[in-house]
Amino acid sequence: MIGVDFELTTEHRLIQQTVRDFATREVGPVAAELDRTSRFPRELIARAADLGLMGVMVPEAYGGSGLDTIAYLIAIEEIASACASTAVVISVNNSLICDPLLRHGSEDLKRRYLPGLATGRLLGCYCLTEPQAGSDAANVQTQARREGDHWVLTGTKIFVTNGVEADVCIVYARTDQEPGARGISAFVVEKEWPGVTVGKVEKKLGIRASSTCEIVLEQCRVPADHLLGERARGFRVALSTLDGGRLGIAAQAVGLARAALEISAAYAAQRHQFGRPIAEFQAVQWMLADMATRTDAARLLMHRAAVLRDRGRPYTKEAAMAKLFASETAMWAAHKAVQIHGGYGYIQDYPVERFFRDAKITEIYEGTSEIQRLVIARHVLGMH
Amino acid sequence: MDIIVCLKQVVDPELPQTEFAIEPATGRQVREGRPLVISTYDENALEVALQLKDRGGGKVTVLTLGPQAVISDAFRLALAMGADEMVVVDDPRGPDRLGGEKAAILAAAIRRIGRFDLVLTGCESADWTERVVAPVLAEALSAACVTFVSRVEAADGTLMVRRMADEGFHRVEVRLPAVLSVASDESNRPRLPKLKDILAAKRKPVHVWPVADMPAAPGDLAAGVEVREVVIPQRTTRCEFLEGESAEQAAALAQRLRDLKLL
Repeated sequence: MIGVDFELTTEHRLIQQTVRDFATREVGPVAAELDRTSRFPRELIARAADLGLMGVMVPEAYGGSGLDTIAYLIAIEEIASACASTAVVISVNNSLICDPLLRHGSEDLKRRYLPGLATGRLLGCYCLTEPQAGSDAANVQTQARREGDHWVLTGTKIFVTNGVEADVCIVYARTDQEPGARGISAFVVEKEWPGVTVGKVEKKLGIRASSTCEIVLEQCRVPADHLLGERARGFRVALSTLDGGRLGIAAQAVGLARAALEISAAYAAQRHQFGRPIAEFQAVQWMLADMATRTDAARLLMHRAAVLRDRGRPYTKEAAMAKLFASETAMWAAHKAVQIHGGYGYIQDYPVERFFRDAKITEIYEGTSEIQRLVIARHVLGMH
Repeated sequence: MDIIVCLKQVVDPELPQTEFAIEPATGRQVREGRPLVISTYDENALEVALQLKDRGGGKVTVLTLGPQAVISDAFRLALAMGADEMVVVDDPRGPDRLGGEKAAILAAAIRRIGRFDLVLTGCESADWTERVVAPVLAEALSAACVTFVSRVEAADGTLMVRRMADEGFHRVEVRLPAVLSVASDESNRPRLPKLKDILAAKRKPVHVWPVADMPAAPGDLAAGVEVREVVIPQRTTRCEFLEGESAEQAAALAQRLRDLKLL
């Protein structure tokens, strides 16, 4: 009989319970303070690494946890429900660094970097975006010039998550003077190498405990064997990486939406106006009902994409749908959460104020909502 | 050191009060449809065992008594945390047996497991709170017994343990084999398993033994205690207004609190 199973496996449930315990006991209690001080959650990342959260899908042979995409998304959702900043630090390391290294890296690169990245000894960052290459990611201007057995990289990357603390960067640069996507290659660059510096550190609306900065490359010499994937095929590496990355952001958004719902439901049950809990008013009930429905729908879209990915099937459209719907749900749910809390939702005494600020970025990074719609539309129209 | 940790499965004590129900006819707690977890202090006992293993090696076996069909995911977590194997004494009546009976069956299971240096239990279960399993087990196994232990250190064939006491603690040296009941302490907060160990736990041995195979003497199974009635206490609140000016109200309040022996 053909059926659709919406139940998590025992292992997935236990992973969920374990990460939820970690998020509740250790992440949640410090999330507001991390946000207020814009402090990188170093101790939490070390603990996350102990549990195996920094390389969830990295095989055990390379020091990872050897789990599947669903397990990874469950973990990110749980962390994000407590702290969206901590979730994105973990998500970037997993989706944007470990994953492309695993899929496109040489055996030597994998052995050199994955064990450190998966165990928290190293942290990764992803250097794609440039001032003139945001949604138009193929417009990368960073240049890579061949000199003997090295490539020499020069250019400026912006909006690099984890950039301040990272040890390993995946950098996209133009190795060939072909137009658009065709001349781009991907490199693995150590941040300590001469010619790599941290530029401006951004002050942000939300996810303030994760760093976002410029990474400036000035005549940075990168060994030729640090090319990730084939020369001039870097844009394919970028796109396939972003498919997985989008699921990580979808999970972050679902975690945020769920937290907004749970906290709003609890608040509505205890907040009295006109002599009764506001949860008894239909206006509030409808908001909670819609938050719950959209959050569930977002999670189901995300898990469907994850199942396709784990089966080795194409999932670009499904990942874009999950990311689009989950991020817009997070923003919408945070908006409603503030509304349910009224004036208390607008002040920092309640976490929904932070959720509101944190949620916005999910509609922007790793592909804006407009880019997700573009990807989906191209699939619908057979134009991909 | 070979350690056996007795874990009891209980209805999640964190559930809201409205989820707590008793079958009027039998007096048994309704478990069906409720999430089941490892009883609170039992997790502390497991953590103590795992720390002893981390420091000095050996083997940790977890032992539970209850219907095998409803052994919950929580026990997989015990294996993921680092226990080496699990023994389930399959007993449909398990959750409803009183402490003395349970201890007799657990003692039989421990004799069947064979070699052990130390048996750990929680200091009390989250449902019945009888606190009798550890002492009865110790008697049945001819082992030393210390209850309400918060810390344990292995020391050259013996154990140095810290036993909670009024306004302080006792330090007790215990010979092996021993049975300890463990209380919570900052040093034995249950660890979280690593994600990869959750997968690996699936491959660890789980032995299921029918309760009928546990040769507990019928006399041991006589609880010596009869439960006549199980009721949920009805809490009522009453509000009393004290008359007069503030000073008079304060004096009257103090007097009322004294009358109620709250001051």
